[in-house]
This record gives sequence, structure tokens and C-alpha cells, in this order.
Amino acid sequence: MKNDSGKRFTGATRYVLDDELAKIVNISMVLEMPLLLKGEPGTGKTMLAHAIAENLKMPLIVLNVKSSMKLVDALYQYDTLTRLNDSRFGDSKRDVSDIEEYIKMGKIGQAFTAEARTVLLIDEIDKADTDFQDDMLDVLDQMEFDIIEVDKTVKTNYRPVIIITSNAKKDLSDPFLGRCNFHHIAFPDPEMMRKIIGVHFPRIDTELLETAISAFYKMRQVDAIEKKPATRELINWIRALQADPDFNPKRLADGDLPYLGVLFKKSHDYARALSTLNGRRMSN
Amino acid sequence: MFVEYFYKLKDVGIPVSPTSFITLHKALHSGLINSLEDFYTASRSVLVKSERYFDLFDQVFAHYFKGAEMPDVKGLELDELARTMLEAWLQNPEALADLMGVDESALNKLTPEELIEYFKERLKEQTEEHHGGSKWIGTGGYSPVGHSGYHPGGMRVGGSSGSKSAVKVAMDRRYKDYSLSGPLTHAMVGEALKRLRHLIPHGPKDQVDIDETIYQTMKNGGEIEIVFDRALRDRLKVILAIDNGGWSMDPYVSVVQTLFDYAGAQFKDLKTFFFHNTIYSNLWEDPARYKKPQRVEEFARFDPQTRLIIIGDASMAPYELFASDGSIHIEERSGLPSIECLQFLAKTFPKSVWLNPVPASTWHYTRTIGEIRSIFPMFELTIDGLEEAITYLRAK
Repeated sequence: MKNDSGKRFTGATRYVLDDELAKIVNISMVLEMPLLLKGEPGTGKTMLAHAIAENLKMPLIVLNVKSSMKLVDALYQYDTLTRLNDSRFGDSKRDVSDIEEYIKMGKIGQAFTAEARTVLLIDEIDKADTDFQDDMLDVLDQMEFDIIEVDKTVKTNYRPVIIITSNAKKDLSDPFLGRCNFHHIAFPDPEMMRKIIGVHFPRIDTELLETAISAFYKMRQVDAIEKKPATRELINWIRALQADPDFNPKRLADGDLPYLGVLFKKSHDYARALSTLNGRRMSN
Repeated sequence: MFVEYFYKLKDVGIPVSPTSFITLHKALHSGLINSLEDFYTASRSVLVKSERYFDLFDQVFAHYFKGAEMPDVKGLELDELARTMLEAWLQNPEALADLMGVDESALNKLTPEELIEYFKERLKEQTEEHHGGSKWIGTGGYSPVGHSGYHPGGMRVGGSSGSKSAVKVAMDRRYKDYSLSGPLTHAMVGEALKRLRHLIPHGPKDQVDIDETIYQTMKNGGEIEIVFDRALRDRLKVILAIDNGGWSMDPYVSVVQTLFDYAGAQFKDLKTFFFHNTIYSNLWEDPARYKKPQRVEEFARFDPQTRLIIIGDASMAPYELFASDGSIHIEERSGLPSIECLQFLAKTFPKSVWLNPVPASTWHYTRTIGEIRSIFPMFELTIDGLEEAITYLRAK
């Protein structure tokens, strides 16, 4: 915190921030608590960390959680193989008897030992087992961890701004939640979506913008869709529409949506969307 | 400060912790909270840790900082519920009267307006009897009266809140769709069921056990000694028995469908059977309950560690359960009353549960539910009930 206390998060060039979220980010920074973000895919959970890093000019460290991951992998690694190699051939400058030379920091370790305050993004924490969360409690609580091989404790120089994202509908464990602040990002409404698209396509044609957004929200309402198109799909879709020289926005209003595959990525969803569209056009 | 507010949150069932309350006070001293809006945002993000409680939080916030909003909200929901009850009544008076445990003919004399008033009274009783009345309303999504006020498909959208006052935002109840009462979605069922999976080593020893290899190599004085082990597989056996017959299960078809879809994707060793109302001598492998009967006695051949999950409303005429020829299907009349078949299954599979889509608060209206509950542990087919059921099934 020390000299960062004046810094307030206000948004970034490619990220549209609502006031509520900005407040939550700032409060979490002041309280030095990790911020847990949930929400549908495509609501910009991961983007938020990037935006904070950009806005506050802090380095961003991303820990992509994988299902097989153990917490210690994220803290540090003891590179036994290199050490074995060095001890056999002895042609490196490292001191084989000094284990510390073979300790490499993982993502959380890097954030703790960094020379400046960093933004640490722990992405999709729900992918790992509950053990991972439980093990992480102490680390987040004390902001330190032990390297057992050298019997050393790593403490944070500067408490990182920690953003944790989770896609799960299920709650994380209670003790874990107790150590985080929480926010759920709702799917953006059309008004917000217009701003988001505006940020990504500053020179977009208004007619295209309006028809594309209204078609997009209509398509999100098709029932029995497994993976609803999200912001990312809309952006890619608009990009595809713009790249097509023959495209005329009026077609969208008539219910003729090209490149449907950009929006719907599961074959079942695609078929479903297509049949809904055809049905709608016929009834018109 | 705000102690009363904190306890109000606790009272309505939001799991708030004292630690987080202290954290909130730290936030108050940080100088960042300068308005009611700021306080709304901060207290929600610090105190409430799941979007399922956002809606409840909004209601309490509006109530606490604005006054008597809360009872109003409840009244509104009662209205809504009573109206749907009326609709259900018009469609099938017998069924509703049965579920409510009242005489159909008595209600027949009432006008629709009187009926609504009557339903409201009944609902109010309900709310008073069971503390946390919103819960009763909450399960409305699958209630026998088919409360259709919720919109399962579309989530309501929150959006930017900068220009509104916090109380207004709270009164908007933007998070209604996320609250506990929301319908079961595929993902929620998946999350709950996933935890039933039980990984144990199985198959050929074809994976290198690295830790053991290193240990043995060191023991060997550096000579490489590779140790193999079996891969982890999910070996949990699950039998799903679904009541798919008759109108009484109709309102729950989509919920059951969701559960069924997910279970199919989740468990390798899953057997599904169907029955109507209750189980007699046979369960069927085909949904039409016609082609592939499986005798209940033969279930004794299955691994007793198999988890048996029965889904049904357990609501029927008592004789269907107790009479030795109780089945409404003639070809099923085998001499054994259904209740004994159920007891046999419960004995064969010590790990079994009955999931009931009927809201738990109305269980005591139906006699057969009570009887079946004494045989199988019964859980509500909602996300909370499912979690409890899974916890029960996981226990050793």
C-alpha cells in the first residue's frame, strides 16, 4: 500500500467499467483483500484484472488454474532435474550445494517477491479441487508461504492486488469466501453493450451497431441453448460482419444473420438457432 | 454501528460472519464510503459472498434504509402465488385440493375472488409456520401449483447503477433470478453431482508413480527403478429411478430432465429405470414402461455400494402404497404391496435417497410422502436439497 494509497482505479482504454464495480475494486484494494468475481462467461471477469493493471500501471501476473494443479506449483518449484544434471556434469555456474539456486518462483511466488506492487489474477479457481482453495487460505491470510526445501518463509514485499475469478454456479468453500470480497458481474444490458462495442470499434456504423446488438440479444433468448453467445462472440461477430464487403446491416433486421457459427459454437446450439431463425422468418 | 442491520441480514438467512462485519467497519474508516450508494456496494461485496443471496440482500437493504418495504414485497409475492394457485385450480381442482388436504367440493362453492383470498390465507399460514417464509415461496418454481412467475430462460440484467439511489437499486431486485429460489439449471445440477464422483485406482498398472519412483531409485543408490501404478477412474455405480407417469409429475418434467441429462454425462456406470407413482414388482428400462421390465428382486444382484437415487413426488392414494394389489396397472399386481418393494430396495442399497420435486414445506399434507420418508431419506429437488442429498450419499 505505502505509496499507492492515492491510486484509484477508474477504468482502462479497452474496458468499460460500471461505477459499482469500480467502487468494489477500490474498497478491496484499500482493505487489502482479494476480490472474487463470478458471472457468466464473457462478462469481462478476466478483462478486469488486465484493466486494473493497465490503469494503475502495475505489472500483471496471471495464474491460470488447471484441474490438476496443486497450490505448491503456484508458489514455487524446486527444480531437482537441473540440480541432478548440474551435480553430474558440473558445467553450470550454479552452486549445487545451495538448494536455493534451484528454487523457482511460481506465479503467486512471483507476485509476492516482486519489486513493486503487482496485480495477481487467479483465473478460474473453480477448476482446481477444493484442496487447492483450502491450501490457499493460509497463503492469502498471512500473505506468506514456506519453502520447505530450504526452510525459508517468503513474505510479500508489496501486497498484490488479487483478483480471483470463478465460473462455477456452486459456491466456493465458506472459509475461503470469508477471506475475499465478492462481486457478481451481471451480463451487460444493451446500453452497456453499446458502450463496450463502442470501445472496441470506435468507428462503427450506427446502423450496424444497433441491428447487430438487437439481433444478438434476440439470439440470446433462443431457449434450450447450452452456451449462450457472450460479449466475446458479439465482438467477433461484428468483426466478421465488417470484414464482409457484401454485407448490408438491413439484412440483420430482416432476420437474416450470416456467420451464425461465430455466435453459436456447439453444433446443437447452431442447429437450434438456425431453425428458430428460419421459423421466425417464415412466420413474418 | 449497523449492528441491527447486520443481524437483520443474518435473520433472513444470509450467511454473514462477524469477521466480515469487522471488515466492513474497516472499509467505513477507509474514507472510501461517502454515500449510501457506496455503503450499499461495499456492504454487499464484503458481507455477501454469493449472488444467490443478492436478492435477499437487496430486500433487506431496502427495508432497513427505507422502512416498511419488506412486508410489502412479501404481500406481492403472495398475490402472485395465489394467482398461480388459482390457475392451477382451474386446470385441475382435484389435484390441488388433494395437495392442500382440503375437500374439493368445499372450495367449489367459492368465487374466484374468494378463492384467491382463501389461497392467500393458506399461504400466510404457511409462511408463519415456517420461519423464513420466503423459502416456501422460493421453492415455488416447482411447487405443486406450478408457480410460473419466474422466467427460467432469461436472466434479468443488472447494468450500470450510477445514476440511481442505492435504495432504488436495491428495490429493483436485480438479482432475483440468482436467488435460491431460481430454477435448477444444468450447471447447478452438474456442480452438485460432480461431487458424487468417486475416483479410485482401477485398470492396468500403466502410469508412472513419480514420487514412488524417485524414492525407490534413491533407495537403490541411484539405479533407476520405475514404479507403475493404476490410473484413477470413477467407479461409482448409480441407479436412477424416475417417476415418469401421470399428471402429478408433469410440472417437474423439466427439472427431472435436467438432472437426468446431467447424470448421463457424469457417471460412467449409470442405470436408469422408470416407474409410475411407486415401485411394485418391476422397474422399467424404457420410459414407456412397456418393453423392458426388470424385476425388483433381481436388484439384489447389483453391487450394494450402488447409490440408488429415486425421483418422484411420492404423492398417491394410500392404497397404491399399502394394498397388495395396489397398482393402478393390472399387469403389475403381483401380491406384494409397494411399500415392501420399497423397503426391499432400501435394504439392498444402504446408500439411497428419494428426491422429491414437491416443496418440503408441503410434505406433511400428503400421507404417502410421510410413509416413504420413513423408508428413504427424502430431499427436496432443489439446489439445496440436492446438495444435502449428495452429502448424504457421499458419507461412508
